[in-house]
Amino acid sequence: MKKAIGVVGLASVALLGACSSGDQVTVGAKNFTEQFILAKMTELLLEQEGYEVEMRDNLGSTALRQALENGQVDVTWDYTGTGLVTYNGEDPIADVDEAFARIQEVDGEQGITWTNISEVNNTYTLVMREDQANELGIESISDLSDYVNDNPGEFRMASDAEFANRPDGLPGVYETYGFEFGDAQVIEMNYGLNYDAIGNEEVEVAVGFSTDSRIPELNLINLEDDMDFFPAYSAAVSMTTEIYEEFPEMEEVFQRMADILDSEIMAELNYQVDIEQRNVDEVAEEFLQESGLLE
Amino acid sequence: MTRNKAIALAVKIVFWVLIIAFFWWAFTSEAFAKIYESPGTFFNLLSQHLTMVGISAGLAIVIAVPLGIFITRPKFRKSEWLLVNIANLGQTIPSIAILALAMGFLGIGIRAAIVALFIYSLLPILQNTIAGLDSVDPAAKDAAKGMGLTPAQILFKIELPSASYSILAGIRTAVVLNIGTAALAYLIGGGGLGVWIFTGIQLFDPQFLISGAVPVTLLAILVDYMFRGLQFAVVPKGLRLARQAAIKQA
Repeated sequence: MKKAIGVVGLASVALLGACSSGDQVTVGAKNFTEQFILAKMTELLLEQEGYEVEMRDNLGSTALRQALENGQVDVTWDYTGTGLVTYNGEDPIADVDEAFARIQEVDGEQGITWTNISEVNNTYTLVMREDQANELGIESISDLSDYVNDNPGEFRMASDAEFANRPDGLPGVYETYGFEFGDAQVIEMNYGLNYDAIGNEEVEVAVGFSTDSRIPELNLINLEDDMDFFPAYSAAVSMTTEIYEEFPEMEEVFQRMADILDSEIMAELNYQVDIEQRNVDEVAEEFLQESGLLE
Repeated sequence: MTRNKAIALAVKIVFWVLIIAFFWWAFTSEAFAKIYESPGTFFNLLSQHLTMVGISAGLAIVIAVPLGIFITRPKFRKSEWLLVNIANLGQTIPSIAILALAMGFLGIGIRAAIVALFIYSLLPILQNTIAGLDSVDPAAKDAAKGMGLTPAQILFKIELPSASYSILAGIRTAVVLNIGTAALAYLIGGGGLGVWIFTGIQLFDPQFLISGAVPVTLLAILVDYMFRGLQFAVVPKGLRLARQAAIKQA
């Protein structure tokens, strides 16, 4: 019996060794559609270049960041605003290039390299149903603030736990715009269900991502961020400096993706998955093939 | 002291030391900060949690125990497989899927969570009620019949007291599981202490995680002990002694 275990052990060690003979990269992703698509595209492109790719997706922002810092994840698409405010406690920067330069500098000291900034800007947004917003004359978050202050306890808001507690999320909105929902008015749920909640008139306000296709689909409107609170959330590659130095040619692979993506295309891809219910893998592969990046 | 007893004692001591070490660590690293920083939110979440568990488990008990009694009456025996299979089905669907299904027709919020938890709690109670009633010694029932007791008298004087240990064990299992599962209610906007647990996971913030998870754990332990006490109080002394004797023999 002991011998058998020894043989199995040896075999598995040999097997593991064989697997890691290719260049192995772990790609991480957060827990929403856009991230799944970006990660899938990254995987496909890297595999085309002969890398062995392992996926770690469906992580909360900070869990993903932790995994990157620990080296459990090598590469991920992240957002400049999240990098600055959530991971590093910096002030938000509205200017895209400035934000990118700043996060490169701040994270560079911590062994994390940012590259390949894209034109995808996936900032947070507060949404309302168009008919209700028009009826009440609410167009901006300032209008919302006035309304909530005049009618406390009336509006309910759907949010995921992350936005409800992030400094660049609801607490920051409260501070900047000078209003607050009561404890019982903020209903926390899985991100994505908040769209169902507002669509079904179970809440009046919900948090969204500006590239989310469900906003136009459900006749929701983005409330104007008239005090420029939400920073630029440009999608860019965030990787460990170690992996960056080991495979410098990866930057070029990602640049092909960064070159073709912008907010509009991202919203369209999200639409195909969220509204048309298509498979993430299929959407990512098809888009890369149509763009000529994948054979 | 026998060797087994010594090992049991050693395990117990290690266990308690670990628990004390955990709480010492938790208090010194301010892991419970959320509870005393925002007690209003904490009690709000706690009461949501208790409401969900209380209503769903309460309904499950009120429905599953009589249903178990009903099924075990000779006249209705034939319906047993159907009802037990339906209840079994409820248990095989992952709890998270039941939540999602309940949300489909009740919308987000605490009501959907209560319905899902109720479905989830039915089976352990029903199964244990049936098993408990089935295990009653037929000779005892025969004797009661011979003494001229009516079927209702037999049920309340012989069967239920004899089955009470098993029935209470089912309720205990259901409620303790229910307390843990209720943490998932966050996902569909049901509130409860799961909100802090998921915030802790999403923000990688141990303060949220521990301020949410430890009260849930303590609640489950507390309820577990409560039902053990109840079992001790309700089960007839004769049966308890017989049980102990059986364990000793084995």
